[in-house]
Amino acid sequence: MLIQHVVGFFLHPVHEWEDVRRQDLSIARALGHTLILGAIPVVSGYIGTTQFGWQIGTAETVKLTQWSAGIISLLYYLVILAAVFSIAWMIRWMGETYGAKQPLARCVVLAAYIPIPLFLVGIVQLFPVLWLNLLIGIPAAAYTVFLLYLGIPVMMEIPVERGFLFASAVLAFGLVGLVGVLAATVILWSVGFGPEFTIP
Amino acid sequence: MNAATETYNYKVVRQFAVMTIVWGIVGMLVGVLIAAQLAWPALNFDLPWLTYSRLRPLHTNAVIFAFGGSALFATAYYVVQRTCHVRLCDDRLAAFTFWGWQAVIVAAAITLPLGYTSSKEYAELEWPIDILITVVWLAYAYVFFGTILKRRVQHIYVANWFYGAFILTVALLHVVNSAALPVNFLKSYSVYAGVQDAMVQWWYGHNAVGFFLTAGFLGMMYYFVPKQAERPVYSYRLSIVHFWALIFVYIWAGPHHLHYTALPDWAQSLGMVMSLILLAPSWGGMINGIMTLSGAWQKLRTDPVLRFLIVSLSFYGMSTFEGPMMSIKTVNALSHYTDWTIGHVHSGALGWVAMVTIGSMYFLLPRLYGREIHSTRLIEVHFWLSTLGIVLYISSMWVAGIMQGLMWRAVNTDGTLIYSFVESVQAMHPFYIIRTLGGAMFLVGMLIMAYNLWKTCAGAQPATAPIPLPAGAH
Repeated sequence: MLIQHVVGFFLHPVHEWEDVRRQDLSIARALGHTLILGAIPVVSGYIGTTQFGWQIGTAETVKLTQWSAGIISLLYYLVILAAVFSIAWMIRWMGETYGAKQPLARCVVLAAYIPIPLFLVGIVQLFPVLWLNLLIGIPAAAYTVFLLYLGIPVMMEIPVERGFLFASAVLAFGLVGLVGVLAATVILWSVGFGPEFTIP
Repeated sequence: MNAATETYNYKVVRQFAVMTIVWGIVGMLVGVLIAAQLAWPALNFDLPWLTYSRLRPLHTNAVIFAFGGSALFATAYYVVQRTCHVRLCDDRLAAFTFWGWQAVIVAAAITLPLGYTSSKEYAELEWPIDILITVVWLAYAYVFFGTILKRRVQHIYVANWFYGAFILTVALLHVVNSAALPVNFLKSYSVYAGVQDAMVQWWYGHNAVGFFLTAGFLGMMYYFVPKQAERPVYSYRLSIVHFWALIFVYIWAGPHHLHYTALPDWAQSLGMVMSLILLAPSWGGMINGIMTLSGAWQKLRTDPVLRFLIVSLSFYGMSTFEGPMMSIKTVNALSHYTDWTIGHVHSGALGWVAMVTIGSMYFLLPRLYGREIHSTRLIEVHFWLSTLGIVLYISSMWVAGIMQGLMWRAVNTDGTLIYSFVESVQAMHPFYIIRTLGGAMFLVGMLIMAYNLWKTCAGAQPATAPIPLPAGAH
């Protein structure tokens, strides 16, 4: 079932959103989905930063200690879950403005299925080479945005044009959240909760 | 006098609108060139006037003052006439502002590549040009406020408040910041010294963002968003409240450019606190714009211009959130001097300023020539090219900036630096290529716009518009 949706979102996305809506999935299902797919970037990142590491210029390969990478991975997992649920809550809250009142479960499912492409390419974090990750991440992010714009009108049952505005507002919220996480990370790092590197 | 007041003065609006497109393309072309130079330094061809250090101020001056400036002149003259139901108070002075402003731009385009600079960021032009700017600006203020004085409707629409604040404050900023002692015709020294000079510079610099690139463009937003959406402003009360809040708070935010410098610590902290407070009035404008557009969703199917306005407001919201975050001293300790700043500036400059200008120009130019737009299809192509271009630009600069910040502060256990500066430059190479690509996409979008508008307006008779009687109930 999970795999079927994942494949479907790449083959026939509009049809797949309609399918998802018809199935009327529960919050528990959406949570399970996020826990499984969200683990892809987390586990890949953990393995990548502890086993393979990265190299900048001619310097020696940098890796993280198991302990440090473990804590970061745990936080990463929590941020992913928080992001999905806060976006779901935001979709529900903003729905009134855009004439779309749907149960919370519907909104959670929507928020959990939108980032499927990003979850999947999380696997490239096995090789934590930043520019490569960015290059592969951008098309995945673009497809995620595409799924957002397709999914909002279908799942919230509003006209496409109204959905465009709604989706833009969700996207803006997502970007603001991203910048917020960025700033929070920098602050945490600066006050002493930074990663520990293995001594080469 | 009676015959002249029958129609609006569209000539000066048209002139500035056309030059907005021209200077936009020139400025962004220089931007793409210097972005490419950062990735491939050989592109300066060892010519002094093609070096990055001389072209960078040319790029910033061209996009801010030539592109942004022309857009502000064009729209301010258009909006003040339309909302006051009256012709500009002085046609000849308005024409003088057009030719004077173009003369300033040409003077900048000659002196900056030759290496004449006051070395003040965003105020590089030497003192004779500064005096010309002052004269043109005072003429601009006279025409704008003179037109408001002879208005036929009692109420002054909120867009005019924003334009008015922008004109007054920029006059003050320019005169105070550019005060200098000339040594000869093309060399002068700032009258301020040391940290005072730095503080005046960034009081000017940040308010160039706050008033030139924000207040002026909010004026644009408050006219063209409701017009294009064919709906009244969502909350007029909110527009007034966030106007005054913005005016009072912005002026204090400058010191966040000088964190961890010789500037007294209390001044830095004050700048940071004011920058954080600034989030509220900034989002007031965003919410008002987005909510106004929200009611116009039925129009989206046929109107791609609305998309530019929606995206511009989204980016305005994002970058005005990012700014306060980056002004937090702890965050700034990492982000300052890195490409994160460049990314932030461009999410504001491309995402907000350029997108809202593009939307306004698609509204304005066909009307000024009395034609329908040549191709809505091309507007859509333009929209997607520029949006994708911005995304490439910002995401590459985020990663590059944070990587730089982390590399610069990385130390070995004995306290020595892990990376040399050159290693951090080397690590930037792939991101600079992605950034160049993003910028180039935005530029191609501008060229498509120029073609589309050319096909729209070529051969058309300039439109004349009789001034309608003000509606009774004001």
